[in-house]
Amino acid sequence: MTFHDAPLSRHDFTAQQSDVRASWPTGADVDFAESIRFHQGRDASLNMASVLRQADARGAVLIQPRAGVALLSEHIRLLTFLQDHCDLLPTTIDAYTRQNRYEEAQKGVERSREAGHSLLNGFPAVNHGVAGCREVVESLSKPVQVRHGTPDARLLAEITLAAGFSSYEGGGVSYNIPYTKDVPLERSLRNWQYVDRLVGMYEDEGVRINREPFGPLSGTLVPPCISHTVGLIEGLLALQQGVRSITLGYGQAGSYVQDIAALQSLRDLGHEFFTNAGHTDYELTTVFHQWMGGFPESEARAFGVIAWGATAAALARATKVIVKTPHEAMGIPTMEANRQGLEATRQVINMLSDQPPLDTPEIQAEADRIKSEVRAIMTRVAELGSGSLVDGTVRAFEAGVIDVPFAPSKHNRGKLLPVRDLDGAVRIFEPGNVPFPAEVMEFHRARVADRARHENRPPCFQMVIDDIYAVSKGNLVGRPR
Amino acid sequence: MEAHTIVLGVIGSDCHAVGNKILEAFFSDRGFRVINLGVMVSQDEFIDAAIETGAAAILVSSLYGHGEIDCAGFRDRCIERGVGDIILYVGGNLVIGKHDPAEVETLYRSMGYDRIFGPDADLDAVADLLACDCAAKAVPTGTSR
Repeated sequence: MTFHDAPLSRHDFTAQQSDVRASWPTGADVDFAESIRFHQGRDASLNMASVLRQADARGAVLIQPRAGVALLSEHIRLLTFLQDHCDLLPTTIDAYTRQNRYEEAQKGVERSREAGHSLLNGFPAVNHGVAGCREVVESLSKPVQVRHGTPDARLLAEITLAAGFSSYEGGGVSYNIPYTKDVPLERSLRNWQYVDRLVGMYEDEGVRINREPFGPLSGTLVPPCISHTVGLIEGLLALQQGVRSITLGYGQAGSYVQDIAALQSLRDLGHEFFTNAGHTDYELTTVFHQWMGGFPESEARAFGVIAWGATAAALARATKVIVKTPHEAMGIPTMEANRQGLEATRQVINMLSDQPPLDTPEIQAEADRIKSEVRAIMTRVAELGSGSLVDGTVRAFEAGVIDVPFAPSKHNRGKLLPVRDLDGAVRIFEPGNVPFPAEVMEFHRARVADRARHENRPPCFQMVIDDIYAVSKGNLVGRPR
Repeated sequence: MEAHTIVLGVIGSDCHAVGNKILEAFFSDRGFRVINLGVMVSQDEFIDAAIETGAAAILVSSLYGHGEIDCAGFRDRCIERGVGDIILYVGGNLVIGKHDPAEVETLYRSMGYDRIFGPDADLDAVADLLACDCAAKAVPTGTSR
């Protein structure tokens, strides 16, 4: 299937750019030509796309934390501490910046300075501006990525990429539907076309910036076919704007059969859809997110969850893993807890690095099922868009053809309801309007019915709630009390 | 007995939607009339909804760490808006970093919250407390409380 969404023209891009850069005073400091020179002068070991490509070629599994605090010096201290324990660095952006509330972020910076500790849940990169962000990048010896959740991330991209960050997470769907209440999907998709075009302009100048659609979405019982579809759409939209390095993501479900099948099928589907759309010149890697749902309070138990995520990622040979911490149940971790999550993950990955990836007939059957689901949804998206992927995506969400469980956005139908089966895999309880192939839906119904019989209760919302709390209470499947 | 009306929502720029959906289902099931404002709710939006619906209580959630900023001054704002005696509950991951729950409780009590809950609160116990607090508040003025 081919889509004809055009790259943003230089005229349209420039017309937006002056408004974007004027939306906060630090935008005036962006100097594209200077930043190209800066990126070109950097060692390849500091470029995310380059490091991911090499890791993927040798089958290595890289590890990356999440981290970000309000103050510049504290943020540098945090990342400098973490870089000895990981392969790739993040800069997690605070939630005010994600909503373009730079004045509130500024107050957060000032109050954090008074309090002597961070009152923001991330680094307000726009407020710190190009010079502050440059200081972060220059203090570190690993590639740094911007990780956030911003539906309009144009100014954040202008500033952070100019400063020397070499990877940018997000997309018009994955940073809207799970992160906002009422941002029209078409608007966020258009704003992300700008970000992708900006990355394409770096590419035009020979600077490769990695792009990573956010895989886990709501992080709560998301069926692989839903997150894969969103990742493929965002990957295709990025390629259309000239992006060349794409990392597709997936959040751990907890069933090793399903998780390994999901990572395998994600990579296969990426190549299938990208090449079928006429793209040949691209690099595709994958990222596995350790368990994104609720964590156990007990740090010892949390390490168990972290290690299980590391295991699935290593057995599936994800290019990188995003690592959780033993403080996850309590929110933002200390830097020491962050380090411990990395060390636990590294231990498992090292021990599995000499062992072959896991592949079984069950994994193959699961991967085939995911592929047939994704193809059915993408076919419907293409039909709805009549050649435009943006239009197809907007209409698919309106119609519930793509439906993300437990997302806050009112532009998401919220009719699809997932539940685990007896083996712990995420199955479809209520399909809503998602066009599952008939035989696949039969399979889901049969699996859910098996569990209902086994637990002697009808499939119900309580079963779903039990599943949501199960991991934090020490299990995978939420058995009746 | 008439159902107590409660206003529910996630404060500030916080978009954690899953627990909010579960709380709505849970408190409705326990017989409360739930006005759920969903995620990303400002203090004034909570108070507007409480005034419009004559709510007995406001239940504030915060998961993302900005609670200390978003939740400050809520009681004062309730007083300014003429609903100073409304029951205020707050729960979630209320501060950045791992802290002693007693310290967190003291901090939020000083902001005027009546009850403070961590992320592992037992919902049945919360509902029991809420029913008692609402019933005590419903006692007509002039009677001893």
